[in-house]
Amino acid sequence: MAKSDTPERSQGTLTVVRAASPVEAVKFETFIRITSDGSVTAYNGHVDLGTGIRTALGQIVAEELDVSFARVVVVLGDTALVPNQGATIASETIQITAVPLRKAAAQARQFLVARAAARLELAIEDLAIEDGLIRGKDNRSVSYGELIAGESIRLELADDVPVKDVGSYSIVGQSVPRVDLPAKATGELVYVHDVRIPGMLHGRVVRPPYAGVDVGDFIGSSLIAVDESSVSDIPGLVAVVHIGDFVGVVAEREENAIKAAAQLKLSWKPMPTLPDLKDIETALRANPSTPRKLIDRGDVEAAIAGAAKPMPRTYVWPYQMHASIGPSCAVADYQEDVTRVWSGTQNPHHLRTDLARLIHRREAEIEVIRLEAAGCYGRNCADDVSADAVLLSRAVGRPVRVQLTREQEHAWEPKGAAQLMDVNGGLNADGSVAGYDFATRYPSNGAPTLALLLTGAVPHTPAVFEMGDRTAIPPYDYENLRVVANDMPPIVRAAWLRGVSALPNTFAHESWIDECAAEACVDPIEYRLRYLKDPRAVDLVNAVAERAGWKPRPVREDKQAEGDIVRGRGFAYALYVHSKFPGYGAAWSAWIADVAVNKATGDVSVTRVVAGQDSGLMINPDGVRHQIHGNVIQSTSRALMEEVSFDRTSVTAREWGAYPIIKFPELPEIDVLMLPRQDQPPLGVGESASVPSAAAIANAIYDATGVRFRELPFTPERILRGLRGEAQTTPEALPAPPQPATARAWQNPFTGRGMFATAAALCAAAIGIGAAVLPWRVIAPIARPDASVYSAATIARGQQLAALGDCAVCHTSANGILNAGGKPLPTPFGTIYSTNITPDVETGIGAWSYPAFERAMREGIHRDGRHLYPAFPYTHFARTTDADMQALYAYLMAQPAVRAETPTNTLAFPFNVRPLMAGWNALFHTPAVFQPDQAKSEIWNRGAYLVEGLGHCSACHSPRNALGAETTGAHLAGGFAEGWEAPALTSLSQAPIPWSEDELYAYLRTGESRFHGVAAGPMAPVVAELAALPDSDIRAMAVYLASFNAAPMDRVTQEALAARLEASTLTRASAASSVGARIYQGACAVCHEVGGAPLFGSRPSLALNSNLHSAAPDNLIQVILRGIAKPAVTDLGYMPAFRDSLTDGQVAELVVYLRQQFAPDRPGWKDIHAAINRIRREHAR
Amino acid sequence: MTQSTMRLTVNGKAYDVGAAPDTALLYVLRNDLELNGPKYGCGLGECGACAVLIDGVAARSCVIPIEGCVGRDIVTLEGLGTREHPDPVQQAFIDEQAAQCGYCLNGMIIATKALLLRSPHPSEDEVLEALRHHLCRCGAHVEIMRAAMRAAGHVVEAQA
Repeated sequence: MAKSDTPERSQGTLTVVRAASPVEAVKFETFIRITSDGSVTAYNGHVDLGTGIRTALGQIVAEELDVSFARVVVVLGDTALVPNQGATIASETIQITAVPLRKAAAQARQFLVARAAARLELAIEDLAIEDGLIRGKDNRSVSYGELIAGESIRLELADDVPVKDVGSYSIVGQSVPRVDLPAKATGELVYVHDVRIPGMLHGRVVRPPYAGVDVGDFIGSSLIAVDESSVSDIPGLVAVVHIGDFVGVVAEREENAIKAAAQLKLSWKPMPTLPDLKDIETALRANPSTPRKLIDRGDVEAAIAGAAKPMPRTYVWPYQMHASIGPSCAVADYQEDVTRVWSGTQNPHHLRTDLARLIHRREAEIEVIRLEAAGCYGRNCADDVSADAVLLSRAVGRPVRVQLTREQEHAWEPKGAAQLMDVNGGLNADGSVAGYDFATRYPSNGAPTLALLLTGAVPHTPAVFEMGDRTAIPPYDYENLRVVANDMPPIVRAAWLRGVSALPNTFAHESWIDECAAEACVDPIEYRLRYLKDPRAVDLVNAVAERAGWKPRPVREDKQAEGDIVRGRGFAYALYVHSKFPGYGAAWSAWIADVAVNKATGDVSVTRVVAGQDSGLMINPDGVRHQIHGNVIQSTSRALMEEVSFDRTSVTAREWGAYPIIKFPELPEIDVLMLPRQDQPPLGVGESASVPSAAAIANAIYDATGVRFRELPFTPERILRGLRGEAQTTPEALPAPPQPATARAWQNPFTGRGMFATAAALCAAAIGIGAAVLPWRVIAPIARPDASVYSAATIARGQQLAALGDCAVCHTSANGILNAGGKPLPTPFGTIYSTNITPDVETGIGAWSYPAFERAMREGIHRDGRHLYPAFPYTHFARTTDADMQALYAYLMAQPAVRAETPTNTLAFPFNVRPLMAGWNALFHTPAVFQPDQAKSEIWNRGAYLVEGLGHCSACHSPRNALGAETTGAHLAGGFAEGWEAPALTSLSQAPIPWSEDELYAYLRTGESRFHGVAAGPMAPVVAELAALPDSDIRAMAVYLASFNAAPMDRVTQEALAARLEASTLTRASAASSVGARIYQGACAVCHEVGGAPLFGSRPSLALNSNLHSAAPDNLIQVILRGIAKPAVTDLGYMPAFRDSLTDGQVAELVVYLRQQFAPDRPGWKDIHAAINRIRREHAR
Repeated sequence: MTQSTMRLTVNGKAYDVGAAPDTALLYVLRNDLELNGPKYGCGLGECGACAVLIDGVAARSCVIPIEGCVGRDIVTLEGLGTREHPDPVQQAFIDEQAAQCGYCLNGMIIATKALLLRSPHPSEDEVLEALRHHLCRCGAHVEIMRAAMRAAGHVVEAQA
């Protein structure tokens, strides 16, 4: 009995241990520790993945030790503290891993009882225990703590410890509230995401473009170059780290790490082409495999050859995601002696081995501290991010927290593998099964930790895991039976996901037997029972049938449709057999699923599930019930809607729109039937209830429709194809990846069009005219004017006018100083940089006299005589009255002077020849002050002055000719600016509800019109600036602009039209039957669906939005890619940019859907792909 | 880039935060204020894990920059109540054992709270609608619905 350290000795401890592996820093691993203060600590090598095993293990220990549940603290998943019991997989914590813990607790109790008997001098039979207090029949007592006080007692775990009889249980078998929930419900530190340690930095990784692929000789060797200068402007950037294909950034603040990761320029080699994973069957058949016979009974060949009815069938399972709600996160603190890693791993010890290999350390020098993470249901990116954090911490010598993005978790998590199940089988003339020849293909290798692959620490050669065999042998006693697992390497990164290969295999077994029952005209449950010999299985099947009120149906009957809805009911059963073949069973499970199928839309809803389970002894029955609920819901989601999408190089589903999971309104009603088997050993309940899911639903769909579906998921499109008798599994082939297009920042509209010479000549000719007329001369510089000569009222008025003219919008760069210029303005002719209009004498307009200012404003000529480009809208500003011009000058001169040089413009010839602008002016510019139209009202004239003058609305809202001048005869007929469409403000407007004066007013005043939407893109800052103007001026602008529209509708008519448009386009009424529809539901509906729960910000109604009704998709694409980062006012809320989350293909699908759904009377847009491509390249960055 | 200071009011207390104005509120809450309630889930406002109350309305803190939060009243899960003194909504979720991994729990509680603030006696359909765009992967929906209904004052029947 070894002694431990002094404080403990004085306190007293009892531990139950076993010898540790030589790689450990300690000699023993501990299962139970009791201290003399009476506290009990239990150690288990598995971790709580959110299933509540911490609570259940505490119950087991409390029960065996005879202490109260509250006294037990359960420690999980810290490699320095807990025994190495392997990965938390296969639902085996209670069934397998808890066994030594239970024995340890029993052993400790027996030791303490024996000691108490000696101390009290009583026979053991005369002792009773209550919460760690041992009381003799004479009522003398001694506590556990007293029995061990002052000693360090270490017991070696014995194998042959008798444990309590189930009949005497008082804690196990009772529903106990989860110990972790109060902290989770109140925001206490629970998760690995919440770890903060002193000096911690924030890291982000940048993954290679072969997203989600981890086999092939390009892995780890595809990075060509890292341009560190591309992130040199990021504040607090600490390091850019790259090793092989591993790339990471570290910054003091998280948001700056995010910016650096997004901004970092990397060059990668071209990516190899993936097989076409839209066609899983072909891809899996083409993947090399090695057959492994699992069972061969009877004479399968002969039986099938002689079958009266051949029944060959193929079943297909797609790639699916674990889809953890929280992307993986880890914190690492690399030190010379011990490296600590806070991780959400499901296998702390295995991870430690990986990390030791990654950084060339002994395992004893690494401690993995496992904290809770988002539920993982298998192998997600938790290990990957832990290794990432270690590499980054090592690089910077400080603790680093790494948070994967949603997109990275989606793209890189090891997918639940696709699977192909071939059945060759047949029926005898009497309807019995002649033979069952089953072959399954499962491409997974368990997904090595990514950093090992990316840095080249482990070879990229494809390994093969023998994991396709889970539940590959059907539960039915077929006389002639052969089962073969075709083991194969992965095609994309894949590992175990809840139910592993058992779920797909069972989909095949349970669909096939259902097909046989239908062929044999026997009730599907009765048919199964003929082949089901396991008595507990038979009990369960009967119990579930009774609970659900199953009516035997030897022959399927056509269902009475309720409108388009037909209903059906399906059964499936499974005993989840897992772990290394032949493995062992977890809980028995059976489902009866009720479905409603909409024959018009193909929408399937699972309305009710009766889920029966025999779990043996249930440690915490409420915990078991919750696991069954969770499995039913998650596997229903997988069956109905889940399928990873790919293009020909990588995973494309990178957010919840492209990979939807079930939502509250889609939930089935769930009736759980838990068989009382408290006298039987406890079984794993973490996955079993998932296993019958897909087959039960497929069988119910068959019952409803008479059509058999053999490939998941049961999306509306697939169901409709099936109902129409179209081929089910021949999706359109994906094209091979395109060659990257050469990037062009913009297109010179004249190159290659033969107009070059024309333009130059035209302008040159015009110079002749202009030269004769205009005296271009330098206006002498002056000392900076003294703004105090102007009254405060004049300056204030000038400030309003500056706002009206949007001076600051163009003359202020992103995050720059007000009016100091330098903002790049992309034009069709090249990039122009706005100038500094602060009163700095050297770099601004401080040396400008009023005449010089006025000349610039009215004629577009710089003080030094240079021509200005009409990106500066002097053609409009010229209309300003002299008094306003003076006020504007006063305001600008009263502002602080800022020294800021203006960058040089990058214009193509001939536009870089400024004197040509004289000709342009002669052709297109009439410098005349606004003259009111006496026939119109005063307010109209005021509006006209504001709109046509400083407001320069038509600069964007009118089309421009080839020379960039507003087209005559098309005033306010709509134009383009900065890549956004500025819609027509006249009756040419495409808005479904014509603009009225009130709505124009609301839009210009608040940035939002109920009937049109919110200001976005370049219009948002315009509205923001207009806030400086009084309501009367905004009203005047609205009056003037409204006069371009036909007779307005009254408010009541507008409301009625809006209500009609919104009601007819509600998406709730329709199934999400396309990729675009699902992206809308997952990404857009939360903020845009009419009638949705209120969220901070506005809820723009897409049915009414002009952009969806426009002739051009540009604004819709722009706002999807760029979002709204700077709304006109913050009350409107924000829209995230989806440019890094959706592929071009997905944006196109979404845009097509939005147009069809919300502007159904408009023709579909053409060339959407080209528009997305162009906008992404030109403007989205 | 200018690094200004912004004043945020969170859980009734004012904080001067030195972060860029376009920094998502979520990162400031978690990193500067060391609040664990709001969680990063998607960064796109899709999943609801990051939900907070802004001026009493549910908000997705991953897509709202702090410059949009100045002068507003921000409440996080921590601001509702503590383990010792939980908000009735938090208590209902604990009572119904309405979580498995619990990562989505913040959003579920905030969404329920926001619903009850605007509609003290919501119907089941209103509860479903309030939770529609909150994702849960563990499949704790049954318990979450029971908790939300309980918080809304409905009598929730015991499970068989």
